[in-house]
Amino acid sequence: MPVWVDPEKCNGCNGSSQPPCLRMCPGDLIVKDHAENKAYLKYPEDCWDCLPCVKVCPEEAIEFHLSFQFGSKGARLIPHVPKKGNQITWEAIDLKGNKEVFTIRTKIMQVALDEKVEGGAEAIDFSI
Amino acid sequence: MERKIIHTDFLIIGGGTAGCMAAVEMKERYPQCSVTIMEKAHIDRSGCLAGGMNAINAYLNKGETPESFVRYVRADSCGLVREDLVKSMSELFEYGVKKVEKWGLPILCDDDGNYIPRGRWNIKINGESLKPILAKAARSAGAKVYNWVTVTNLLTKEARVVGAVGFSLRNGTFYVVQAKATLIATGGAAGIYRPNNTGDASHKTWYSPYNTGAGYAMGIRAGAEMTSYEMRYVAIRTKDAIAPTGTIALGAKAPLVNSDGERFMVTRYADLGGDGAPTPYRAHGPVQEIKEGRGPIYLDTRGLSAEKVRDLKSAYLDMYPSQVLYWLANDIDPAREPVEVQTTEPYVVGGHCQAGYWVDKDRRTTLKGLYAAGDVAGGAPFKFVSGCWAEGIIAARAMGSDIEKMAPAEVEAEQVDAEEERAFKPLKGHAKLRHGISAVDFEARLQKIMEEYAGGVSTHYEMNEKMLTIARDRLAKLPGEVGQLVASDLHHLMKVHEVIDRIDVAQVLVEHLLFRKETRWPTYQSRTDFPNRDDAHWLKFVNSIRDPLTGEIEMITRPYEQIVPGDRYQAK
Repeated sequence: MPVWVDPEKCNGCNGSSQPPCLRMCPGDLIVKDHAENKAYLKYPEDCWDCLPCVKVCPEEAIEFHLSFQFGSKGARLIPHVPKKGNQITWEAIDLKGNKEVFTIRTKIMQVALDEKVEGGAEAIDFSI
Repeated sequence: MERKIIHTDFLIIGGGTAGCMAAVEMKERYPQCSVTIMEKAHIDRSGCLAGGMNAINAYLNKGETPESFVRYVRADSCGLVREDLVKSMSELFEYGVKKVEKWGLPILCDDDGNYIPRGRWNIKINGESLKPILAKAARSAGAKVYNWVTVTNLLTKEARVVGAVGFSLRNGTFYVVQAKATLIATGGAAGIYRPNNTGDASHKTWYSPYNTGAGYAMGIRAGAEMTSYEMRYVAIRTKDAIAPTGTIALGAKAPLVNSDGERFMVTRYADLGGDGAPTPYRAHGPVQEIKEGRGPIYLDTRGLSAEKVRDLKSAYLDMYPSQVLYWLANDIDPAREPVEVQTTEPYVVGGHCQAGYWVDKDRRTTLKGLYAAGDVAGGAPFKFVSGCWAEGIIAARAMGSDIEKMAPAEVEAEQVDAEEERAFKPLKGHAKLRHGISAVDFEARLQKIMEEYAGGVSTHYEMNEKMLTIARDRLAKLPGEVGQLVASDLHHLMKVHEVIDRIDVAQVLVEHLLFRKETRWPTYQSRTDFPNRDDAHWLKFVNSIRDPLTGEIEMITRPYEQIVPGDRYQAK
């Protein structure tokens, strides 16, 4: 599973109906379980490993995993996006635990916690 | 289902690289006009640029001109391009790049403030946030954005495109957009062929897996003339992670080598320019090495300094972070171990190759009221990010000047009703059909046919008349089975429409592959029964038009016109 939402850290962006991770996934793969107030990757087989969801999470609750077929578990790559300042810091940790830190210039664009959806007010239940 | 009617002057389908730039240009030049963007995902992070980019790969560095760019792209495309289109986009590279820099894109500069080249046509950027920067510019300019709308078809009236319809992935609202002029700016098509990886990594593809050919398909169905689908794109990418290799080849100057350490491009393709051979040959070379038993193939990074390796990792973090995690998870240090590369499954894409709408110099398609820019516009390869911007700008200017002469557009109620019925049928069918077909299964069937009979990875991208005829016959059965597709929710309804679109694209692609009886772009288009280039008969564009009523695909040719003088096979 390429990205994984840690249910311990995810707070569902509180009352947000469309938290940033849902909005930023270009494949529309992340959904929010409103009963549990948690986001999760509903369609892992379609994940592109592009990471906007990871970078935009205000709780740093989304972890990036490589599909196991590509390599051993244990290595980690964690982006930290500050609220201010135009840079991203990446922690890269190899299988032996060695850590390398990269700070890269970027343009930080503020992302609101929620956003109105155009059209009908309520989602339609198509379940049968 | 709730239906929402939108009236707009300009409709942009696809809020990506080309679409966002077009929206800004429209609002700046025609501030009184309304601009509406329909985007399948959320405009802030959609399509190819969702993860970011670390370079602008088409730019006129110091000493280069639009003419030198045309000469390069023409040679790189084995002598056949729309020179008028390539030239006009190159003339706007600087205009687009400077604009995006003004909006906040960090571009690497030297002490004098000049952009730092990374290869002949490339400049380095810190482009992690390129997509949100473009999205913000489009919104700030005053474009109205509808996110999570899957556009299913164009609306036409009396051979004129008058808008489009689609449904919301969030609440099922059916959108009917009535527009004076419509710009198609969606991506090309991934997922036509079986992908390199399987399981939960099946979408670990180079090209955005969410670019499914919808923009092509709706034009094909409406009867637009299409060009050059047979020039497929096959990329060299890092093994498994499928990360771009330009970062290593250009950024770290690492050469391609085979398992013997031989620089095979230099030895075997010297007459074509060695490492600088046309891009199809840079995919073809590795494929032949592997086919003839000299694989695997590597980019030789051995001996890079620690600082260079760090630069390499930084560059990937801006664009393709999983490559760095791949090295971490496999205990690979590129300075000690060369980076293994492989070729990808074929994609249909107008930004790197030439598949797309046949357009005039102003990016008008053959359908009145419809324009195309970016990956769906044909004939102009080597477009990448800045070429998509340029085409968005050119199309926006043409649309603005055209609509002043256009009568108001009206949509046909019957067409809208029929399209709403078609769009939602798989959801309604879900309750009725006991043994429906899922989009995933349908996609697997399509990909199996294309992989095995239309030049997939496992046949070294090769094909012949017999194989392609089998592909054609098997594909011909699929439209008849579309009625059995079912969807359990709106996300799966989107996926159903994606696979329907892919079928339409695949059928056109196979007709193009059958028609061109030469091999012009080895590996992109390798005909074993016509293994050589044949300028005497095939220095021309292969085009197609599907009859909207009968579904029959008619093949035609259009002449090549040389605008920039010189040897067509020499880049200099």
